[in-house]
Amino acid sequence: MNLSYLTRFPERLVAPLYATLPTTATTSGNRPENFAIEGRNLKFSFTTRQTQDVPVLKDCSIRIPCGQFWMLLGPNGCGKSTLLKILAGLLTPTSGTVYVNGPKSFVFQNPDHQVVMPTVDSDVAFGLGKINLAHDEVRSRVSRALHAVGLSDYMKRSVQTLSGGQKQRVAIAGALAEACKVLLLDELTTFLDEADQVGVIKAVRNSVDTSAEVTALWVTHRLEELEYADGAIYMEDGKVVMHGDAASIRSFIEARQSAYITQINS
Amino acid sequence: MNCNHAAATFLSLSLPPPSSVLFPKSPSAILGPNQILLPRNARLGLRLRLRASNGDSNVQAANWSKWIPEGSFAADKVFRLIAGATASPIGQFVASPTTFLHSIDPRVKLVWLLALVVLPARSHIIMRFALVVYLTLLSIWALPRNAWTDQLGRVYLLSGLLFITSGLGSDGAPALVQLRTPPPAMMGLPNLPVSLTGYAYTIMKLGPLTFTRKGLSVASTIACLTFTVFQSASLCLTTTSPEQLAFALRWFMLPLKYIGVSVSEIVLTLLLSLRFISLVFDEVRNIALGIVSRRLNWKQLTVMETIDIFFNYFRRIFKNIFSHAEQISQAMIVRGFKGDCGTHKIYFLSESSFGMVDIICLLCLTLLIGAALLSEYYLV
Repeated sequence: MNLSYLTRFPERLVAPLYATLPTTATTSGNRPENFAIEGRNLKFSFTTRQTQDVPVLKDCSIRIPCGQFWMLLGPNGCGKSTLLKILAGLLTPTSGTVYVNGPKSFVFQNPDHQVVMPTVDSDVAFGLGKINLAHDEVRSRVSRALHAVGLSDYMKRSVQTLSGGQKQRVAIAGALAEACKVLLLDELTTFLDEADQVGVIKAVRNSVDTSAEVTALWVTHRLEELEYADGAIYMEDGKVVMHGDAASIRSFIEARQSAYITQINS
Repeated sequence: MNCNHAAATFLSLSLPPPSSVLFPKSPSAILGPNQILLPRNARLGLRLRLRASNGDSNVQAANWSKWIPEGSFAADKVFRLIAGATASPIGQFVASPTTFLHSIDPRVKLVWLLALVVLPARSHIIMRFALVVYLTLLSIWALPRNAWTDQLGRVYLLSGLLFITSGLGSDGAPALVQLRTPPPAMMGLPNLPVSLTGYAYTIMKLGPLTFTRKGLSVASTIACLTFTVFQSASLCLTTTSPEQLAFALRWFMLPLKYIGVSVSEIVLTLLLSLRFISLVFDEVRNIALGIVSRRLNWKQLTVMETIDIFFNYFRRIFKNIFSHAEQISQAMIVRGFKGDCGTHKIYFLSESSFGMVDIICLLCLTLLIGAALLSEYYLV
């Protein structure tokens, strides 16, 4: 894993957009050019077999500036992955508007769902099939992407023989090779051990640091990963509860955790 | 299945709750501690269980329950066998150690593969067995030990079974389907003279079964064909990356493009299939391991419960595989695939050059085909 990019990034921290519930007024008006991802008043619900509407997202609004690495946190079932899939275009919101800079790339939680081709290099090159590129350019992009995730020696390896962490890195390399402006990453570190978790998160941080145009939104449950983020969004019960810089979100969640523990112990 | 009970389960709402061990009030009463048999909701309903076991005085039940597989065919062993059999890669590319087979052009390998599929059917019996020996030696030489022992073991077992069944079965057909010509003695003809060269149509007799020359011919063709098809395909898949195979297939199929064949779609389908093979094996193995790790007390399960677990096992495999397929199709869409193979380019990054080794391989193939054709005329 290339560690040379592991630099501090205080200058990248931005002031919180809003540290409370976002309102329609905050996000109204034309989309400012410096936002890579913007969702306004997003609602999403699905209908059960008993024809009951189950709301998943309830009026969510988010804005993520260009060139930053943001994280999306919240308890299980709060709608993080659904929001990410809406941003990726995999789901259509019931109401609300979405803007995401293109080209964008989505990486699934389970790498077995993301990796399409049988060998590493061909999988990384798969996403490039939509662009008409010369073979040398494809080779160069694949090589650079695999180098960024520390898998340069695995180009010809069968995907089947890789560990979960390595497959996850192949999935990220596929996204990096496309030179996307927006990376949407769904709980990438779920299946990984500690070393691989750090490796994967640093690979994403590196790709954001090396290009001012790349923006990443990372869904996670782990508070310690906030260390690498420029900003974060905290969701609960289908709503955005807080939206701001990583430190504020971390303090907010830790305060809630300690309040909960106090409540249990009392 | 290691069961010595049989049970039929009926839903009955009108009967009062039974109170004996065989009719427990609580479904968990028939389970040992820490056992998970079926989903809870499947057991909550009021049920009437009709059980029959060896311990019962019912003679009929004891008669048929002896036919239920035990020992090596016990259910847990079956699951362990499935988990073990799918653990080793079947038809998967082995990147290292790199052998000379890895360096051969994939197009040459495909031509060889085609020849090895056709030749056993159209050559002399000696040639067929020579091909089997040749493929065995090539596998031992080119593949890692664990790969060839696994591959050859399975293929030899399958071919052996086919050889025995077709050898004994092809000419052991009942007289009803044979020509009903009366024996020569009945027509006043002398018996056929015994061959002076030691020729005998019947090679071996095993009780009611006879192994004849016709049986040998049929058995050798079927067994050798099976062996060469499976082993040459395994050898090709083990030493050729899926992309190389797809590249070779596309190269051969390109002319078909002019008559409307969707070559790019076939190539993409091949690549996805080769990727999916490993996922299927993973699913089969993981679910089997999941069942084994529950440490079910199979002896306490009834036949119906055991069958239920097997059905659940197959249902879960299909459900998971379809889920995988759905997720992969979503991933393809996210990665820019719009459903048209013509517009989504598949890049083949493997270098493929036609060299001296490939020419030598083609020459050897020509010699092999020549020998196979000549064997039909000169070996009698």
